[in-house]
Amino acid sequence: MAHIHILAPLDGTVVELEKVPDEVFALKMAGDGVAIDPSGNVAVAPVAGQLVKLFRGGHAFGITVEGGIELIVHLGLDTIELEGEGFEKLAVEGQAVKAGEPIVRFDRATIEAAGKVILSPVVSAGDGTIVQRASGTVQAGRDVLFTLEI
Amino acid sequence: MENTVERTVVVGSKSGLHARPAAIFVQNAKSFQSQITLGKNERTANGKSILSVLALGAEKGDQVVLTISGGDAETALTKLVRLLEGDLG
Repeated sequence: MAHIHILAPLDGTVVELEKVPDEVFALKMAGDGVAIDPSGNVAVAPVAGQLVKLFRGGHAFGITVEGGIELIVHLGLDTIELEGEGFEKLAVEGQAVKAGEPIVRFDRATIEAAGKVILSPVVSAGDGTIVQRASGTVQAGRDVLFTLEI
Repeated sequence: MENTVERTVVVGSKSGLHARPAAIFVQNAKSFQSQITLGKNERTANGKSILSVLALGAEKGDQVVLTISGGDAETALTKLVRLLEGDLG
């Protein structure tokens, strides 16, 4: 059995997934994980892998790791409706990424001014079970957000 | 004997197969034993992996090919076609 450390993709405060006001995430339909209330403005890769999905609007991305691990970082809730406003892509879909590599820059003020919540779920959608998760404040690309056992 | 069924479906959700619709689709797909794939143009997605479905990038109005093979393929096809054609948000 292997343990894979998933780093925080954002600076901020960890919030339980169940408290996210969006049932897709709160009911773990998209997978288990945690949410982060961000304090910074750049989302980085939480793990080394392939950036298989970077949404056109830059509001969400997904990374796969060999061995069946899939991670989704969703910046804010219902932010697809912003169609890219408040987000700037710093990476290209399909590329290999290192843990901590910048993926998207975002502007909280713009996103909130558009009426969206910036609370950002980070979920494991593939193989593995979360055996440990962080609480309190985390630093992007440095602190372990959760650990997957696979 | 393994049963394989295939159907071309037009995506009905207004945001395409984005997080919410993809999550609902995958959750339902996982309730079947059959192998389930979604194809769009040259790409194929594992219907039981949300990230794989998201990576397909299917938008509202896009045609996707749903291929299901296994013992419960017929039941799965009926259910999943209805989900894909409907508006899941």
